[in-house]
Amino acid sequence: MISLTIDNQTIEVAEGTTVLEAAEKLNIYIPTLCHHESLIPYGGCRLCVVEVSRNGAADLTSSCTHKVEEGLKVKTNTERVRKVRRLVLELLLADAPEAPILQDLAREMGVTRSERLKPRKDDLCILCGRCVRACREVVGVNAIDFAGRGYSKKVAAPFFKSSPDCIACSTCFYICPTGAITMREVEEGEKARIPEGEIVEGPARIIDNWKVGLTMKRCKKCGEIIAPEFQLEYLRKKVDLKEDHFDICPSCRE
Amino acid sequence: MKRREEINSLKNLERLKEEGMNSLFPSRTKIMVGMATCGKAAGAGEVWQVLNKEVKKRKIDALVVKTGCIGLCQHEPLVDILKPGYPRITYDRVTPEKVGELLDGLVKGKFKKGIMARIDQEEFLLDDTSRRYNKGKIPAYLASVSPYKKLPFYKKQMRIALRNCGFIDPENIAEYVAKGGYFSLAQVLKGRKPEKVISQIKSSKLRGRGGAGFSTGLKWEICRNADGEERYLICNADEGDPGAYMDRSILEGDPHSILEGMLIGGFAIGASQGCIYVREEYPLAIERLEIALNQVRGEGLLGKNILDSGFDFEIEICQGAGAFVCGEETALIQSIEGNWGEPKPRPPFPAISGFRGKPTVINNVETWSNVPAIMARGAKWFSGIGTSKSKGTKVFSLVGKVCNIGLVEVPMGITLKDIIYGIGGGVPNGRSFKAVQTGGPSGGCIPKDLIDLPVDFDQLKKAGSIMGSGGMIVMDDRTCMVDVAKYFLSFLEEESCGKCVPCRVGIRRMREILEDITSGRGEEGDIEYLQQMAEAVKDGSLCGLGKTAPNPVLATIRYFRDEYEAHIKEKRCPAGVCKPLITYSIDAENCTGCGACQRVCPQEAITGKKKKPHQILIDKCIKCGACFEVCKFDAIVT
Amino acid sequence: MSSVSDEKFVDEIAKKAGGSSLITILQEVQSRYNYLPEQVLALLSKKLEVPLSRIFSLATFYRSFSLKKRGKNLVKVCLGTACHVKNANNLLEKAKRDLNLSDEVMTTKDLNFTVEKVRCLGCCSLAPVVLINEDTYGSLTQEKMSKILKKYA
Repeated sequence: MISLTIDNQTIEVAEGTTVLEAAEKLNIYIPTLCHHESLIPYGGCRLCVVEVSRNGAADLTSSCTHKVEEGLKVKTNTERVRKVRRLVLELLLADAPEAPILQDLAREMGVTRSERLKPRKDDLCILCGRCVRACREVVGVNAIDFAGRGYSKKVAAPFFKSSPDCIACSTCFYICPTGAITMREVEEGEKARIPEGEIVEGPARIIDNWKVGLTMKRCKKCGEIIAPEFQLEYLRKKVDLKEDHFDICPSCRE
Repeated sequence: MKRREEINSLKNLERLKEEGMNSLFPSRTKIMVGMATCGKAAGAGEVWQVLNKEVKKRKIDALVVKTGCIGLCQHEPLVDILKPGYPRITYDRVTPEKVGELLDGLVKGKFKKGIMARIDQEEFLLDDTSRRYNKGKIPAYLASVSPYKKLPFYKKQMRIALRNCGFIDPENIAEYVAKGGYFSLAQVLKGRKPEKVISQIKSSKLRGRGGAGFSTGLKWEICRNADGEERYLICNADEGDPGAYMDRSILEGDPHSILEGMLIGGFAIGASQGCIYVREEYPLAIERLEIALNQVRGEGLLGKNILDSGFDFEIEICQGAGAFVCGEETALIQSIEGNWGEPKPRPPFPAISGFRGKPTVINNVETWSNVPAIMARGAKWFSGIGTSKSKGTKVFSLVGKVCNIGLVEVPMGITLKDIIYGIGGGVPNGRSFKAVQTGGPSGGCIPKDLIDLPVDFDQLKKAGSIMGSGGMIVMDDRTCMVDVAKYFLSFLEEESCGKCVPCRVGIRRMREILEDITSGRGEEGDIEYLQQMAEAVKDGSLCGLGKTAPNPVLATIRYFRDEYEAHIKEKRCPAGVCKPLITYSIDAENCTGCGACQRVCPQEAITGKKKKPHQILIDKCIKCGACFEVCKFDAIVT
Repeated sequence: MSSVSDEKFVDEIAKKAGGSSLITILQEVQSRYNYLPEQVLALLSKKLEVPLSRIFSLATFYRSFSLKKRGKNLVKVCLGTACHVKNANNLLEKAKRDLNLSDEVMTTKDLNFTVEKVRCLGCCSLAPVVLINEDTYGSLTQEKMSKILKKYA
């Protein structure tokens, strides 16, 4: 067990616990954005920074990645910390002013959009990396990844074309905090165009950002929609199931 | 009773030493050509070809060999002649056309006029001795030629890391051994006490020469004591700071000094694998390293059971792929592992968990090349040089608006004045010194008022800059400091890995504001806003790139606020650089009507008759600056 | 579409890959083709069983890789600090004007030239410097550079 102090409160936690997790146990609120409990801590947004001191020197570190150390002294709301959080929000607000989560966080912290920074339009992505990390760590398909570096870094399918590996599981859509990923369900009997691609007939699912549109598989028995065919085929091959395994939906199988 | 193999391998070193000494003091005339990248860029390649051809054609009994950069880059191509019994003679600015005369002189027994310097002796720094080249008195006509150590450029220098550059053939291992090379390694392996090696490096107080200045000995100790069976060693040869090329010179001029340093370090920390990460923009350095690696393997100085000590060590080269951020140690490790160069938060530090999670020591090229010298001469010798907290010497690349551009190695604590004026010869073309940029994009500028500043890690930090890798860019009154800040931010904007918000977005937005300021769109309050953002970017960024990115902005605001204000309030660029704020015009008083500007103008925007003052038509002018480049009469003004 | 020779090349690389890093492999591909062709990367992804998105990520992170065909002559204009204070940017603009290039298109239509920015070449004593293929040219003016470019035309 490791003992540390957060905002003058001492706590003992297991080795390997992060400062963020330890603070949660003490009911101390630290704002986060790129963090997600199902994903490996990233430390990219810097919103969760805290001040840590050992041997007299104080440094800022991302609490989501920093593992606890014996005797560590943590301060979660100093002037330095607040300045960094304000900067992060100001910068992100200029990049994605319409994102509701940013507006909420800004309101919470009393930050307003800076007039001096020209707002970026038409792109809600703040590069928190949640979609990429989920696709890589949780789904395991790695259909999308970062492309480029620096300010022009983007999340993309290879060559900015249709992702050949995407199974339209919709994890990225749900995990994105700003709504930068758009997904459309095409109803039976309707048609829609995949961005820069073909027309697909419903029932289908289109994820615009990765230019993917996949036809949904119907249950042979009850006719209900199960999931995209491509996705089911991928899972079937991965787990080595029979050819017709997914022909029946889970409820009918029972 | 020594084992047979042990005696044999030491005998091998002795044999190499003898061979090397015969090469350094040959019985035939030796002609040395400076063939580092800077030499080649100045035309040494053609000189080399012509020399070889002519020597063969005229059947002159002479060896033609390559050597590294001796530092006086501006005078390249350099050709040295070492005739047995005479001091070594250096000719500068040699062209293929001049080769003929040079050889004429040699054949006739008298050296051609216009010798830049003479070198009277070969220094053996590692055992503190020297040996003269000449036998007997120096001939009268050579006595008037300045010995190279008396040249203003070299007078205050002390070459430890650069000890062999320009003196040995980097592709000849025997010469390296003759200069004391690999004997430090032999001693270390014979002693079989890695802890003693670490303690010696610690006592020498050597601090990393790559930028951070962390205690090398302490780093090695932490690594050695870290948990785990395997350790790994890396040489950071990514030298990304624009304007810094000292590592390149060492790699091209004395690659063995790095290999020996790494071998000693590997033994000290208990590693058996090492890697040299070289940026891909240095193909000659990679080539020289590969040659050196083959040679050491051939001589049993690398591989299994080195010098029969039971110590195994292998080194491989890893090539960079064009990312400045990979000079940051955690990003470098990512790159070697085949990933994109995204820095990782520290702790854990690489010394505890680095390459593939193993304890890893990463040191800079210059740091490694100091190691054999420290082992040979002792910690006390090294710590006797420099200041109280910055020991030894530092190599600086003195470039920009300075007369003597080149590489200089000086003891820590020497003043900026001594470097820029004493060694550098001051600012050329009648212009005045304004500031000197140190530490590259992570550093700051030091203004005129602080010219007496002693140069060491702490003094530079106090003045708002950093030592960094040693780039020293001199600026004159025609350099716009706001433009310099914008330049560094643009550089870092492109090099940022993009992971964290303060760096990725902060640098970009700061650069946008500087773009506004240099284009006449600066607003009241911009300076304060920049400072505010700068502080938060420094604090919030994940790695060193982001944390130090605001330094040039903060330093230029601190010392040149008036320039910022002129740009913002008066929409004026005092140095005459920022294109949107300047107009090119011709000073009728200076203009001789030679027409040179008219000829080069791509827009036909210059009118005027021969021998009469010309004029620039502002509407047609695209401000390309071509006229400014060609005018020999200072008649183009901004 | 990939050709038979592309497949052969990828097979060879995959065989000797062993523990080689993906970056080293991409460097070999670029050595052979002078850029990273999309079809070869797709083949690599299949052969090495590495997600294509990861390969694309590496190819776009590192500046030395090009996904577009590059010209026969690589003109690298050094924009290091020492060159910058000696107006290297003017040289870059001149090269772009001479070769009819823009910020978006830095390769000539006839694929004879590609102009790239580089920082830094380490030849600061000869600033401003331009590297064309393996030849380094120093102490340049716009006029001198134009003449040199014509030599490679």
